[in-house]
Amino acid sequence: MSDFQLKFYTNFIKEDRYLYLLKGLGNTLIITLFAVIIGVVLGFLVAIIRSTYAKTGKLKLLNTLCGIYLTVIRGTPMMIQLMIMFYVVFVSSNNKILVAVIAFGINSGAYVAEIVRSGIMSIDQGQFEAGRSLGFSYPQTMWYIIMPQAFKNVLPALANEFIVLLKETSICGYIGLMDLTRGGDIIRSRTYEAFMPLIAVAIIYLIMVVGLTALVGKLERRLRASER
Amino acid sequence: MKNMKKVAAAVLAVCMAASLTACGSKAPADTAAPAETEAAESTDGSAAAVAGVDDLPGKTIGVQLGTTGDIYASDYEAEGSTIERYNKGADAVQALKQGKLDCVIIDNQPAQAFVEKNDDLKILDEEFAVEDYAICISKDNKELTEAINGALAELKAEGILDSIIANYIGDDTKGQSPYVSPEGVDRSNGTLTMATNAAFEPYEYYDGDKVVGIDADMAQAVCDKLGYELKIEDMEFDSIINAVQSGKADMGVAGMTVTEDRLTSVDFTEPYTTAKQVIIVRK
Repeated sequence: MSDFQLKFYTNFIKEDRYLYLLKGLGNTLIITLFAVIIGVVLGFLVAIIRSTYAKTGKLKLLNTLCGIYLTVIRGTPMMIQLMIMFYVVFVSSNNKILVAVIAFGINSGAYVAEIVRSGIMSIDQGQFEAGRSLGFSYPQTMWYIIMPQAFKNVLPALANEFIVLLKETSICGYIGLMDLTRGGDIIRSRTYEAFMPLIAVAIIYLIMVVGLTALVGKLERRLRASER
Repeated sequence: MKNMKKVAAAVLAVCMAASLTACGSKAPADTAAPAETEAAESTDGSAAAVAGVDDLPGKTIGVQLGTTGDIYASDYEAEGSTIERYNKGADAVQALKQGKLDCVIIDNQPAQAFVEKNDDLKILDEEFAVEDYAICISKDNKELTEAINGALAELKAEGILDSIIANYIGDDTKGQSPYVSPEGVDRSNGTLTMATNAAFEPYEYYDGDKVVGIDADMAQAVCDKLGYELKIEDMEFDSIINAVQSGKADMGVAGMTVTEDRLTSVDFTEPYTTAKQVIIVRK
């Protein structure tokens, strides 16, 4: 047991090493939060454009652009996209968090778009027709009738995507940005011990994901309340 | 009509690819200018560029994670410096070129290689630190440490070690004396796995799909002496000690400096060469 305590001391307390994890956790949370916001906005826009084209045949050019966006983003590894953002696109920027937020946001947007589109397409065509025959315009039908139902359907899949996003931020170390994983790596490179830092990092990720799942579960139940 | 769409899509895809490659080839020319102005700014902004070890406090320093450069440079964190830890030395140098860093602290040999390839970088005359390189071996494997120490002593005495190093370092001697295993070596003792991080020219790097370099040749020479087959495993530098400790690799040979912290986790052989940590800056 004292061995355990000693290891705990050298890995976290000595030289304030826990600060690496704390700062890294902060960065991970900031990146995830803002990337989720960008991803959701981008994803919903793309999904609406794509499903509008599928239903009405309008917005052809935008639909093509969205198609290219989805192909490129989903067809290349996230890590490569992050490196391209840092070393090629934002060459003169030194704000790594901003670069990471944009890279992860754009990446997440592509996946959110397909999730939301699947939700929109799952709503029966009759709902559209009912909305239009009640005198709603197309955007109104979308906003008041289709979206609320679609959102409820895709919530579990969306939560899935956000969990993946949260964990995928662990590749930030590749651009020298200290996220939670890199914080653990730094401790590991100082103490040459694998167990403590890796397990600590894993537990912190787990706690975050459990928290996120609980939040989404709550939201799901609230949305269900209107069903009965 | 359907065919038309397919053709249109194909044309679009080609245009995309073309514009992407255009971006790629244009980028260096474009980015040179902002990088330079950025460099000028950061030089003006933070009083003066790094001209020596005394200038390091308050600067943004790039290092490779887990290297001695990282460990020593981290002491400057208390003095207001920002340490940015990259997975590869090359990534840190890339960031330095783009004006994202004030300087990079790295081993002398890879630094020479980087500066050779980048006209806009230079190495400061004042070295950051001097250090010994040795092979790390698990504390549970004292016999291997002793055996390798013996082999290293023989290699030193026979001048083989010097000729291996001369084959990679020094403009006149480079490529002159490649190491060749003696013929008819008995390899009945099994396989010796060497953990390394093959992104550290000239100690270990990829030539084609093979890991070559001073460390690779030296490890081969040691295996020839001891009657082992050599197997090289490439991994992240900060994983090497973990790999050696857990027995996933028999020894770590990666231009690794002997430090107090490392000695608590693994044993080291006698040093086989010395090296310097130097500071790279933009011209």
